[in-house]
Amino acid sequence: MSNSAYEIMIPPPAKKVKLNEIENEDRLSDLPDCIILHILSFIKTKQAVQTCVLSSRWKDLWKLIPVLIFYSSDFGAYKKFTRLVSKVLSLRDSSISLHALDFKRSNDRFEPNLKRIVNYAISHNVQRLRLYFNGDIAQIPPTLFSCHTLTYLKLFIYPDQGHKTPFPKSLDLPALTCLKLGHFEFCVGDDDRAEPFSKFNRLNSLSISSCTVRGGKTLCISSATLVNLTMYNYRYNFYKIELCTPNLCTFVFTGAPYQRLFGSNVSSLKHVVIDAVVIPYDSEPPLFLISWLQEFANIKSLTVTATTLQVLSLFPDLLKIKLPSLNNLKSLKVKMEEISYGFRLTLRDAKLRKAKSQKEAAWIRKAFKAGLEPSSLIPDGVVDFLLQNSRSAEVDFVDRSKKPLE
Amino acid sequence: MAAEKSSIKIITLIAADGSVFEVEPNIVKEMKTVQSYIDELDQNTVSIPLPNVFGNDLAMIIEYCKKHASEEETKEAKEEFDFEFVKRMKSDDKLRLLQAASYLNMESFLQFMAKAIAAEIENQSVEFVRDYFQIESDFTPEEEAELRKENEWAFK
Repeated sequence: MSNSAYEIMIPPPAKKVKLNEIENEDRLSDLPDCIILHILSFIKTKQAVQTCVLSSRWKDLWKLIPVLIFYSSDFGAYKKFTRLVSKVLSLRDSSISLHALDFKRSNDRFEPNLKRIVNYAISHNVQRLRLYFNGDIAQIPPTLFSCHTLTYLKLFIYPDQGHKTPFPKSLDLPALTCLKLGHFEFCVGDDDRAEPFSKFNRLNSLSISSCTVRGGKTLCISSATLVNLTMYNYRYNFYKIELCTPNLCTFVFTGAPYQRLFGSNVSSLKHVVIDAVVIPYDSEPPLFLISWLQEFANIKSLTVTATTLQVLSLFPDLLKIKLPSLNNLKSLKVKMEEISYGFRLTLRDAKLRKAKSQKEAAWIRKAFKAGLEPSSLIPDGVVDFLLQNSRSAEVDFVDRSKKPLE
Repeated sequence: MAAEKSSIKIITLIAADGSVFEVEPNIVKEMKTVQSYIDELDQNTVSIPLPNVFGNDLAMIIEYCKKHASEEETKEAKEEFDFEFVKRMKSDDKLRLLQAASYLNMESFLQFMAKAIAAEIENQSVEFVRDYFQIESDFTPEEEAELRKENEWAFK
């Protein structure tokens, strides 16, 4: 056979795709229903049901959508929200499996449908589940925690009066690859450690928001499969984090770094993103961030905000520290941003503590009032400090106003 | 034979308007319609006509595939690319690309386009959606009113 180009004809679909915009027919008339259902899968269920009046083709289409999205914020009254949920569950085509359920109810009242809807999702082989609600974990049927089809679970249970939800002890979710948790408390064992994630054999991404560990003990994130870890913390949540994650590639932290961090196995970690703040008006925040950096031995890229560098600079004699880490850094990105008023106060107080005379203190106060403190967005020398073991790394200052940090 | 299959180096895609695109095999992996034909062949080079996709659209699809097939690009860079990619498109472009994605059987690009279109109609009125898709209603006003009444729980 010759090596000449081979011509193959791919048979066109039964009807040709219309390329001529002048023809004034339905733009979607050539698309099969399954494609329209793809589009509708991204639309909140309330609006998706409303498409039933578009034309006879659309009348029952919504009943086949493999995704349900219920947000109570789209309703004037919770009664109406509850009614819609009930109607949809009764009228939806029950032979169609439910790929994803996204349920958000922002009110501390009990949602009578919650058990029913979660049961519906489980019995329709749900793979992706997002639940946000106020109250008690007992509102969810326990069968959820042994659901074998679930690959993605986002669970935010906003607690009453600040009590965190105890994280369930027995979980059997063998297909789970992505887990996002909000407002949970992890319980520790006899060794003062909580190790809630080692049972997930396929876990790839983990996100932990505003969670605590009972007694401020150690949260051990132990997973052989985990690749992405994201943490958010905007409160005084003190505990220790131990990372035993040999395949962890990306670590993203947003919020107040008030936890001690130990990387007992983070040899694959390549990318670290830190968007640190201190709790507003906290005049003497804990200074753990420097010790975090010491754990990041082999990372290639570090992304920080200007505020993060300011938080770092609070550490006494920072610039004199010899870092044992950051030897292979290829890229340092600094997202420029305005420094919040609350944090500027923290910075001012730190500076006042170091002031040698009344006169200097008065000058600092004056400069602060005039909006001149801190004098520069990025503290002097801190970028060189980070690059002390990798001088050739590329440094990028990014205007944060263009795109939010992830 | 397996050994020969992997020897394909360049794939030529010919758009409906005759414009020609030469791409590496990893770029078309996402295009299942194209991939299934490549898999049946043993040649070093293949040329594949795509009579349902115009050159401009194919160029955009290839640009997207190149960015997403690259192992050097970070997740963040890919997301930024996606953001800009959608931003420069008009509604008609999105609908055309959605149709192309469906024809080429590109799962993730199809999702991406469907999501971009959904973002345009999200939180809009039924009338807006009808205009957007240029749907001719075959309901009489009475029939439509009846449907709205029947499903009033979704219109509140």
